[in-house]
Amino acid sequence: MKKILIVDDDKIFSKVLRDALVAAKPDAYEIVSVYDGEEGLAKIAELKPDMIVLDIMLPKLTGLEILEKLNESGVTIPVLMGTQFADLEKISRAVELGAKGYIVKSDYSLEHIIRQIDDILKD
Amino acid sequence: MNGIAIVVTLVGIAALGGGAILYVRARKLAAVARASDDDVRHRMYELTILKEVGDRIGYSLNVEKIANVIVGSLNQFIEYGAASFMLITPEKIIFKADLDKPVSHAFLDDIKVRMRLALNALLDRDLSQTPLEETITGTAMVDGMNEPVRSFFNIPLVISGNIAGLLTVAHTKDGLYKEKEMTMLYKIVGQASQAVTRLEEVITVERGKLQAMVESMADGVLMTDTDSRVLVANHALRNIVSTPDGRDVTIFDVIDACAGMFDVRGRLEESIKQGRTFVADNINLAGSIYQIFLFPVKGANAGGGTVGGGVIFRDITRERAAEKMREDFTSMMVHELRSPLDSIKKIGELLRTPSIRDDKAAYDEYMGMVYQSASNMLELVNDLLDVAKLESGKFEVRKKPASIRELIEERVKFFETPAHDATLRLASSVDEHIPHAILFDQMRTAQVLSNLLSNAIKFTPPGGQVTTRAFLHAHGADINQEAALAGIPLPLSEKDPRFGTLQNSVVVAVTDNGEGISPENQERMFNKFEQFSTSIRAGEKKGTGLGLVIVKGIIETQGGIVGVISQEGAGSTFYFTIAV
Repeated sequence: MKKILIVDDDKIFSKVLRDALVAAKPDAYEIVSVYDGEEGLAKIAELKPDMIVLDIMLPKLTGLEILEKLNESGVTIPVLMGTQFADLEKISRAVELGAKGYIVKSDYSLEHIIRQIDDILKD
Repeated sequence: MNGIAIVVTLVGIAALGGGAILYVRARKLAAVARASDDDVRHRMYELTILKEVGDRIGYSLNVEKIANVIVGSLNQFIEYGAASFMLITPEKIIFKADLDKPVSHAFLDDIKVRMRLALNALLDRDLSQTPLEETITGTAMVDGMNEPVRSFFNIPLVISGNIAGLLTVAHTKDGLYKEKEMTMLYKIVGQASQAVTRLEEVITVERGKLQAMVESMADGVLMTDTDSRVLVANHALRNIVSTPDGRDVTIFDVIDACAGMFDVRGRLEESIKQGRTFVADNINLAGSIYQIFLFPVKGANAGGGTVGGGVIFRDITRERAAEKMREDFTSMMVHELRSPLDSIKKIGELLRTPSIRDDKAAYDEYMGMVYQSASNMLELVNDLLDVAKLESGKFEVRKKPASIRELIEERVKFFETPAHDATLRLASSVDEHIPHAILFDQMRTAQVLSNLLSNAIKFTPPGGQVTTRAFLHAHGADINQEAALAGIPLPLSEKDPRFGTLQNSVVVAVTDNGEGISPENQERMFNKFEQFSTSIRAGEKKGTGLGLVIVKGIIETQGGIVGVISQEGAGSTFYFTIAV
């Protein structure tokens, strides 16, 4: 089982994604959801997930700030960056900081997002 | 008959006598006429001279030019060997002499000595060491002549009450300058002095007006000459470039203030050279944002060349902040609308998965989410429509007689479930003296109460209490006393002077014992764009903030007032009034 941490304050999106992943491959993933940046950072250290689905806009600590902190402490867990809109500036900053990929939540289908997650987990 | 003859004789004598008297009178009149003829001629002559001098002087403020014109006109009516003037400038004395007949060097030297002495006396200071710049025109000087100054007189040149110099006529002949000539010269010089004085006064007043205007401008204003020397720098500019009081602003102050942000000198030189205006936008100087205009300053005369450059610094910090707020507001609204839409879309996609669709519990939960997302969106769209109506002045309320007590009780009951879920207590108390029916828009006022109650519930920690109170305010009575009697813990009038003039009203107040709101945020809460962008209340519970904007709109359209009083850590009271 691959451990996935979803850090997103949009609880509906978080739940939909979790259920969609489980429905796609019932025993492939162990999924943990947290809803703000501080919790996310704490959970990363505790859980050591195989990958993180990280929203850019988060309360308390933004996704970009979390990426920076991960870089500083040499953590190399792959990150799939989530944004509400195609905010090119923030996306390119995330890629600069080592994000493996990004999803534009309002544009991408669940199927597409799951495929991206699987691609990252395969590497 | 005799009688008649006597009468005739008498008449004859009388006629003779009368004739003699008439003759004498006529002689006298003729003499007077001749004298006045001379006078008229003289006056006409005077006027001609004065007019000519006046015309030649024009509107000049150049005293040297004026003195030149006067000296140049003198030979038309006065005989002189030398007509000369001395003008005092800070560095030197300008001396010019026009010679009408050959004179000796000694003659001229004597004039100079006499003039300096006269100036010393007039000014009460020693000018004997001040350098003299002299120009001699007219007839050549002859050496060896020994004709001393025999006639001589000085007229001081007075401009705006100050001695500017001296005008002198001198001759080798004796007894030349009599009263007539002297009066004439005084008139000419006096008129020229007066004209210049008046012109200077006008210019001083006009310059004063212009200076006062430039000085009081909110924009920073700078003017330099073509060599970047600062000619004008107003108060606002001094502040922008932080020049200490008592020191003149230099171009270097301005360059330093713009360092790294804007090449003010380079741009100004370019502007002067090319005769073009430049505008630089969004220049950040010491925390404020400026729009900077640079333009060439042309001379005042028609066809005048560029005499320098002007720079205007306009502080656009507030405009930019407002612009940013509008942009933030728009992107926030878009986000708030897209989020629930996206949720609905994703749920729709997920529910196509048979395992989820067929799981009754999961299906119901997702349907609940769809319902909630759609409701949130609808509420937001309605709020946006209300705000749009408020802004366009098309917002309407329909006042009908209704019971405020019933409305409060109904709304409080409605919010009991969410309050219970948040482990809060809801209470209400309505003064029994409030008339049963007062005029207000029941639906809109219900919306106001709902908004205030749901906010209070949202921002009060578990275990807290939210109390809705209504009491009567009598015009002119102390609102704080009335509020205290009703049980409201904070003085309502503390920051709201409107209570001083409020008519008889019902005051409705929703009090919580939540975290409270900082004074700064209390003022911003009811403004669109302002209060939503920062989390006015701590934590994640951010809203669009449109609710309070609409609350304010509804209450003010009904003719009431709305406000908040709060202490951080001690809770808040939101209040509104309805006239009775």
